[in-house]
Amino acid sequence: MQLILSWPVRLLIIAILVFSIGVDGAGYVYRAVNHYPMTGNVPGLPPNYFGWQLYIHKGLDLAGGTHIDYQLTNFPAGQARSDVQQRTIDVINKRVNALGVSEPEIRGAGSNNDRITVDLAGVTADQAQKVIGRVTKLVYTKWVKDPNPANTSGPHPGYMPQLVGLTGDDISSASSTIDQNGIAWVVNLTFTSHGSVVFDNLTRANVAACPGDPATDPAAGCPERFLTIWLDLTQQDINNWDQPGVQAQLLQRYDSGGKQLVDAITDSEISGGQAQISGGSAGFTQTEASDLATGINSGSLPVDLVVLDVTQVGSTLGADSVKLSIAAGLLGLTIVVIFMIVYYRLPGLLASLALLFYAGAVFAVFKALPVTLTLAGITGFILSVGMAVDANVLIFERFKEEVRAGRTIPAAVDAAVRRAWPAIRDSNTSTLITCLILLFVGPAQIKGFAIVLGIGVVASLFSSIFVTHNLLAIVLNSTSMRRPALLGADRARIT
Amino acid sequence: MTEDEPASDVEDEDTDETLAEEVEEVEEAVAVPPPPIEKVLAAPRVRKLDIVSRRNLFFLLSLVIIIPGIISMTTKHFLLGIDFAGGTEITATFSNNPTIAQVESAVASENIDGTVLATGGSTFIIRAAQLQPAQQTSVINDLSTKVGPIDRSKLSILEVGGTIAKETIEFALLAVVLAAVAILLLLMIRFRNVPGGWRAGFQFGGSALAALLHDVFLLTGLFSIMGAVFNLRIGEIDSLFVTAVLTVVGFSVHDTIVVFDRIRENLRVSQRLSFEQVVNLSIMQTAARSIITSFTVVLVLAAILIAGGASLKGFALALMIGIVSGTYSSIFNAAPLLVVWRRLQPVR
Repeated sequence: MQLILSWPVRLLIIAILVFSIGVDGAGYVYRAVNHYPMTGNVPGLPPNYFGWQLYIHKGLDLAGGTHIDYQLTNFPAGQARSDVQQRTIDVINKRVNALGVSEPEIRGAGSNNDRITVDLAGVTADQAQKVIGRVTKLVYTKWVKDPNPANTSGPHPGYMPQLVGLTGDDISSASSTIDQNGIAWVVNLTFTSHGSVVFDNLTRANVAACPGDPATDPAAGCPERFLTIWLDLTQQDINNWDQPGVQAQLLQRYDSGGKQLVDAITDSEISGGQAQISGGSAGFTQTEASDLATGINSGSLPVDLVVLDVTQVGSTLGADSVKLSIAAGLLGLTIVVIFMIVYYRLPGLLASLALLFYAGAVFAVFKALPVTLTLAGITGFILSVGMAVDANVLIFERFKEEVRAGRTIPAAVDAAVRRAWPAIRDSNTSTLITCLILLFVGPAQIKGFAIVLGIGVVASLFSSIFVTHNLLAIVLNSTSMRRPALLGADRARIT
Repeated sequence: MTEDEPASDVEDEDTDETLAEEVEEVEEAVAVPPPPIEKVLAAPRVRKLDIVSRRNLFFLLSLVIIIPGIISMTTKHFLLGIDFAGGTEITATFSNNPTIAQVESAVASENIDGTVLATGGSTFIIRAAQLQPAQQTSVINDLSTKVGPIDRSKLSILEVGGTIAKETIEFALLAVVLAAVAILLLLMIRFRNVPGGWRAGFQFGGSALAALLHDVFLLTGLFSIMGAVFNLRIGEIDSLFVTAVLTVVGFSVHDTIVVFDRIRENLRVSQRLSFEQVVNLSIMQTAARSIITSFTVVLVLAAILIAGGASLKGFALALMIGIVSGTYSSIFNAAPLLVVWRRLQPVR
């Protein structure tokens, strides 16, 4: 007991309090300092503490959006399933980025690396499935003279692309690595046997158009030497090449609406089915190289995706649930506080303060970790309030008994906490065990609940044992507080 | 966990004096009738209710509720929610307050094997077989032309395939079984230091487990009756219900541990009382706490049940039933069962 009532513990409580207020109130402090309104969107929020974005992360059932579970089938032979899964996730990520979703969540799942779970806020199921499951075609073009004299812009003025019959089906894989010199990042391409023959012919014809080393001889850099990779470029697009605006549109990055992936000059004839794309004189950064590799790979998903289940929640439906749940939570909390104060008087008031401390600390942890809150999670939180109350009730009932047994009030507080402890410890251990089991074997929807309840139980243990006890000890230091009416122990001897 | 055991023993020795005091107090309360008037006020109301000797009555009461539930579960099974049954569930809010008949006729013309549930107001739930995304979109478009405009921001679509539904059930059952085993082990470990050692610990753990199963069967049975027999939507079994069952498991054990912990303490303190007397005394000493705690949690749940969203109502009801049952079983079943077990298999 000496330990619980010692100064280090009180300092810890104060530190947690300061942290909670800082995290919970950061947004409001920011609004107040900058004279922004207290609600609604304002620039600069959510607050950022040294790279920590502090805000409540809402699950899809609260924020609205789409959740899809995919089963992966037709794994390519001879490749590690975890790699294939990761590549598929990268591809889906790229495709989803085009939707402009904030914080898309795409995770691997399944005991056999054969599942992918996708959570997208603010997108309908139809949109999501169209974008993720779309069949994208990667095509190669070479450049030929444009008969239209009006063509004076683009990467190669006077030239237009021409499909060469080489597509994503002819590429077996693309990967980003660091080059032999260990300086620049490059993308390695491996062609299928058919692809390597076509590619060999193409590159030979390219080099023949204006022979020489393009790095030293400007004459060797003619547009015919270039090969370009596109996503979904159609003959229709090429026919419209000289229409106003078409080129600019097509030449944008493919994930912002354009179709061009890379425009690369052929250094030399390439046979054997292995090609390397380097970043030219500027070189690729690691991100650029891996983006390009993913872009090439995403021309074709390595596996087939089968939809297992889809959940779509309307945007205001979620907001309604949040309002209702918060209202219910506040109502419940208020009832509990009134009950505690009426029934236990001063200790009840102190326990209610501890409860506020508890709620503030748990919300700070949710924001800081962060924990994604779902509807079930909010319920878990409300329930953990019940558990926090339980520990206090155990202590106070015991306190009344100890006072009746003739102890002085400070001694009774001490004895109450000590005697109630084994029951509090064992019962909360059992709840924590249940939470852990849910976390590891529970269905995905239940995991959020388990995390929230688990954090709640730990925090409630701390608040009931440390905070309530310290508050009681501090308040009861003053003899004027040791009145039966205040302590709810009317019929007991008070010394 | 075992390491802090000696420490707490030492602590107990520190307070030998006060413990001795308490022994007197306890024994006075139980063994010396009639005490002086002041003592009646000072001592807890111990002798007014003898729960242990009336245990058969309470066992019977539990069986009266549980047996119909088990019959319903085995013959009628459950009303399954979408995440267990599989299929598509569309929740649509129309802006023109249509009748359920209007929505039903529109759904019937879609040939999707659909049923319509009214949730009150202009929101309807349409259940159907599994639909492709394109089908879903066309159904929703058809509904909005035939019935009335649908508020897209309140539209929710849930589609669950058979694999996921099966897995959810398997995971949930596995979780309940694992939790039960873990709790039995925890209680055996924590109660092995009562007189009788591990065997006594096993009796404590087993009795708690029985009370826990009582609550699980009572809750699932009642939901089977509500859902499958009376066809009430609130009695639907979904993954939130599984969450509720597991929470109830936690709470039930909470209550039981509080009573058992008191028995453990009283066994050490008042060795002249019979085991039955100790159990009854412990029940009386902890009943106030158990009832008050459950009462506060029930208050919170009542708030959710009344004010919370529709999707949470069944969940709140399940928790409420389970928590009341958990408190009942810890007082009226778990501790008396311990007495019965101890009589049949005396330890020490």
